[in-house]
Amino acid sequence: MHFNTTKNGAMSVNSKLTRRRFIKGVIFSGAAATTGTGIYLAANAQSGQSAAERLVTLNINGRNRPVDVLPTETLAYTLRYKLDMTGTKIGCNRGECGACTVLIDGVPNYSCSVLSHNVKGKAVVSIEGVKAADGTLHAVQQAFIAENAPQCGFCTPGQVMSAVALLNSNPRPTKEEAAAAMSGNLCRCGAYEHYLNGVLRASGQLA
Amino acid sequence: MSTHIGFDFIPPDVPGKVTGEIKYAEDYKREGMVFARLLTSPLPSGRVVSIDTSEALRMDGVVGVFTADDLPPVAPPGNPALASEYVTYVGQPILAVAAITEEIAESAIDKIRIDFERRDFVVDPIESLTPGGSNAYPEGNVLVRTREEGPEGAPIVGAEIRDIKWPQSAIDAIKSGKEPVGGEFTTEWAFGDIDAGFADAAAIIEEPFVTIGYPHHSLEARTGMAYWENGKCYFHGSSQSQSANNAGLARMLNIDLADLVFINEATGGGFGSKIGPYPFMAITGNFSRVLNRPVQLRITREQEFYIGSARSGMQGWIKIGVKENGKVSAVDLVIVNDGGATGGGSGNSSAQHVTVAYQPENMRYRGISVYTNTTPRGAQRGPGQNEMAAVLAPMTDKAAAAINMDRVAFRRRNVLDSNGFQGGSQGPVTSAFVREALDQGKRVFGWDEKLALPKQNGSKVRGIGVGIGYHGAGGRGYDGLVRIAPDGKLYIHSGVGNLGTYSYAGTCRAAAEALKMPWDRCEIMRGRSDNHLPHSSGQGGSNTIFTHTRTNWVAAQDAITKLKEIAAADLGGSADDYEIGDERVYQSADSSKGLSYAQAAQRAMELGGKYSGQEYPDDINPLTQLAVQGLAGTGLIGVSKDNIPGQGQPPGVIVGFCEIEMDKDTGKYEVLDYTAIADCGTVVHPKNFDNAMRGGGVWGIGLAALERHVYDPQNGLPANTGLYQSKPPTYLDVNLNTKVGAVNIPDPQNPTGGRGIGEPTQGASAAALASAISDALDGHLFNTAPTTTDMIINHLAGNTYSTKSLKTNTF
Amino acid sequence: MPSHDVMPNMELYQPVQVEDALALADRLADRGWLVGGGQDTYGWLKDRAKVADAMIDLSAIESLRGVRETSDGIEIGALTTLSEVANNSVIQAQYSLLSQAASVVASPQIRNIGTLGGNVSQDVRCWYYRRGLSCYRAGGNLCYADTPQGMNREHSLFETSRCVAASPSDTAPALVALDATMVIRSVNGERTLAAEDYFVGPANDIENTTALRPGEILTTVRIPNTWANATFYFEKVADRNVWDFSLVNVAAAFKVSAGNVEDSRIVCGAVQCTPRRVTNVENAIRGQAKNAVTAESVATMATDGARALAHNGFKIPLMQNLVKRAISA
Repeated sequence: MHFNTTKNGAMSVNSKLTRRRFIKGVIFSGAAATTGTGIYLAANAQSGQSAAERLVTLNINGRNRPVDVLPTETLAYTLRYKLDMTGTKIGCNRGECGACTVLIDGVPNYSCSVLSHNVKGKAVVSIEGVKAADGTLHAVQQAFIAENAPQCGFCTPGQVMSAVALLNSNPRPTKEEAAAAMSGNLCRCGAYEHYLNGVLRASGQLA
Repeated sequence: MSTHIGFDFIPPDVPGKVTGEIKYAEDYKREGMVFARLLTSPLPSGRVVSIDTSEALRMDGVVGVFTADDLPPVAPPGNPALASEYVTYVGQPILAVAAITEEIAESAIDKIRIDFERRDFVVDPIESLTPGGSNAYPEGNVLVRTREEGPEGAPIVGAEIRDIKWPQSAIDAIKSGKEPVGGEFTTEWAFGDIDAGFADAAAIIEEPFVTIGYPHHSLEARTGMAYWENGKCYFHGSSQSQSANNAGLARMLNIDLADLVFINEATGGGFGSKIGPYPFMAITGNFSRVLNRPVQLRITREQEFYIGSARSGMQGWIKIGVKENGKVSAVDLVIVNDGGATGGGSGNSSAQHVTVAYQPENMRYRGISVYTNTTPRGAQRGPGQNEMAAVLAPMTDKAAAAINMDRVAFRRRNVLDSNGFQGGSQGPVTSAFVREALDQGKRVFGWDEKLALPKQNGSKVRGIGVGIGYHGAGGRGYDGLVRIAPDGKLYIHSGVGNLGTYSYAGTCRAAAEALKMPWDRCEIMRGRSDNHLPHSSGQGGSNTIFTHTRTNWVAAQDAITKLKEIAAADLGGSADDYEIGDERVYQSADSSKGLSYAQAAQRAMELGGKYSGQEYPDDINPLTQLAVQGLAGTGLIGVSKDNIPGQGQPPGVIVGFCEIEMDKDTGKYEVLDYTAIADCGTVVHPKNFDNAMRGGGVWGIGLAALERHVYDPQNGLPANTGLYQSKPPTYLDVNLNTKVGAVNIPDPQNPTGGRGIGEPTQGASAAALASAISDALDGHLFNTAPTTTDMIINHLAGNTYSTKSLKTNTF
Repeated sequence: MPSHDVMPNMELYQPVQVEDALALADRLADRGWLVGGGQDTYGWLKDRAKVADAMIDLSAIESLRGVRETSDGIEIGALTTLSEVANNSVIQAQYSLLSQAASVVASPQIRNIGTLGGNVSQDVRCWYYRRGLSCYRAGGNLCYADTPQGMNREHSLFETSRCVAASPSDTAPALVALDATMVIRSVNGERTLAAEDYFVGPANDIENTTALRPGEILTTVRIPNTWANATFYFEKVADRNVWDFSLVNVAAAFKVSAGNVEDSRIVCGAVQCTPRRVTNVENAIRGQAKNAVTAESVATMATDGARALAHNGFKIPLMQNLVKRAISA
């Protein structure tokens, strides 16, 4: 947005372009998304110096999913809008809440802050891939139900992912270890203790 | 004997939350759906001179622009969905752009040219009251209500904006912690004779205080998706209530209530910010109609900060008189509320907290709510009460110390009981057992033992604190609707929203209890209005349990009456000769003579009339009437308005006990123990009670220690739009071994005994923490909420942190 | 300023060889944006407060990851994640100052992808600057924070020059304390800088917080064994214990002999635009007993020369106390 003001004020937002990286006044090609291929250099994936190919295959929940991914698209966006996997939530889109947590090669990451092009050749597990193929819920999911852990539920998929990753690497964590491992997942409802009790229950430490 | 109330169960939506399968508004897509984004004001105050959207509209993929011209005009003090002439805060929506992708919509926003004329702005209420101070609106700076205030969360109606300035002497007085004599107020009440009360006092505490508003930041940034089919609007929204806002939303869309299908299976948090049909909803629904395409309007986290509402702030002064015997004899309270861009404050509720905590013999309250060019304010978890609890607790400790009384004993001496009162009108309560809660908490927490422990340990110092949280916890007069179907199952229709409290499910247990139905034979009908949902309250935090266990109870009673009447008609005798049990209605004298619920439902359908919903009571809400009409002929219908006699406000009260260990080098502290005991009548759903108590406890830490608005007074820009700057508590900022309990004495005015607890959970925690911080620092009063790390460090270093500037929204 | 949160479209390069990355960095120069873990980058780009023509994603370059022991210390690839740094057994055993610092950055997920190179090269967090205001650092001609009314609670105490933004990094003070060397490559070759010289204050460069020039890539961090197994102290004080940037942090290394300090390096973060060594304190405690008495006697020296802004005065006692604790611990 450009805006002009008719009175002089202390604030000089979006004034003249003064530094190369700043967008102020720069006309950026907003139509890129619809004419995306036009902005790439001729593709020659071998050289390592060419721009990323748009058609990629992502391994999501054990399945290879061919998908057309814009170069700067985030994994959360690809999951939700391209692959219709809406269990992954976008709470802040800035890595400040954890609702979008997925596992990449077993490690929890904020999918809002990972490019889909970063996960080529890696195994991504989203909330949709946590339960068993026959529909049996993961121990973490069962325990979260038993502890009535979610409140509004918007952070819950992310909490499940962090808990699953924790128990994979540390099958019997203490409550303190669990809190540290889960600490990148904000719960605005404040259901922290119930998620932690869920982790302890899932690890067989709470009956 | 109770079969459902007081027992754990799994609310039916929990599995969908742990699998990610439950859907929030943003999870729905629709063929041909376009993506809309908002353009928001960069200025805290200004006039829109012109808007040029031509370049944006020429972009490939852009399908339309929606402005205030596409909506009915809203005059101040209404909060318009889109600004028309004036913008009054940074982040105020001005227009929406729709495109085939979000990326294009965002890029299109950058191509829109708006010319503004700047206006002066103000971010601090007292500055606006100062002679020569700026006004947030062209019309003035103070919201004056011309009609009585509606319930919490209700849109402001019957109000005007006035220009009020205080004499400089009053400004100087309040800023130096004195009574602002000569200042004009817009709300005032008193009972008793405060002069006489102060004359009776053995000690008088006089303090300034300031509490700072902060955003709700529900984790789901509110999204709407709407489409139209055959004249009906299908609206996927995010609301605290499934039904309370339907009428308002239908009005925004200019359609009949029957033509709105509001779909809202799950809501990603509300905390008061999604009680009503917030203005933003009008954009999605109307834009979709204009474009004749499904429209999804998702907002950014930053925009959720702007339009997602926030707690009002307070700048105040209080004088408390205490008699030798510990009784509070007089309170004089002044509150200047920060009403943000919407003007409303919650000072009256803050004063109400004081009445509950102290039951003062004499009291005066004077308040004024001032507009600032900051975000819209609205109800946030215990609005008024909880922030008052946070600043009042250390002052209460000081008052107790002044007469050498134990802090818990002092509270016990003064607090509300069943014969007590709340608010300036000194209205009655249904019942209250706060003394019992204090006794229980004191025991569980080990107050006396902890008092005896040494305080200092190297650079560490311990502090213990106690606090009280209170909020009105129940309403009356809403509707219940149940249906026994020919399959013999009980369908409980609920308009209660699903914002994460599970009270929608807990309240349905009342119908199952009354009809003696096993829970697995019950189904809750909810989530979309075409599931025929009755009118409900707005799920203002604490109100649902009392209100809707009663509505479901009365609907079940209506069903029971009809079961008995049908059985009597078929099997002889009078209805009084029958009772229910084991999913049957049968003769008390001979239980073999009876009908199963399934048979009775079949008979109800054959009999028609009131039995199957063709007729219904004339005192039910129009929304409930629509719901019954939709169900008519499908089974035995139990429907009733809650006309259970009684009077008084059902109070929700929590007492909190907190122990911290503070590091005097860093000002940081660890919460070693937090114990919270509720006086909320019968606990309806224990597991959920625990979670609500603990979640509220986390919120209390945010209020007392971390969360606050920060605005730059030079340019009106907010600093804390994101989550990391707003600082909601994380796993590692809270106590993770909280002890919770309840007095568990049934409320006499609820057949199931329950009252709500949602809001006071936070107030108790905030108050107990503030009290503990003060205790750790030898009784120092910060008189601020939040009390942040830097304030504590400054105090410990001997740098004076002055509350008396009463600055709010700025440091 | 409109609110955005969708990544803008631009070119993306994903080299797997460092040579290709250097060639791209050279070719794209200031039109390109180097991305490690991206945890600072994506916010800038989503906000559209800064823009680039292309991103050069370094995360696929395996040779820039991992920890190697060398004859005189260790080498850490700049793309090594903070979690890897925090959990590496060699670092934990000999240079635990760095593993401690890395373990308290932001949140677990950010540490899982955020890199050591990124953590030391991230931009400042001044909220005015981040909002896209045209302040000095953004090429304008005023500072919004350094005014009597500026909301400058998180800003600098020292060596401000037009800009008062503070260093946000938790690992940077640790690397300065460990006397690390930063290895920088470009198509023209390699240069090395002491960590102290890698960080650049506004007096020398108002636009950049590091000595990296367009076309250059920070490839490696070398830690000499000079300070291996020293007595370390790290502490971070922030409002929240997750996500938040330090209000003040301290990273200190002591060589102690018979209870006396032979030598030390004590560095504070978040008090100026670069990590601040308190050399006057280091000098004062040399030869002194490493205890509370010594600590108490030198604590106030730590803030000699500090200039508090309107709202960050609390950082002075906090910094003194952290330095004191580092010495007395």
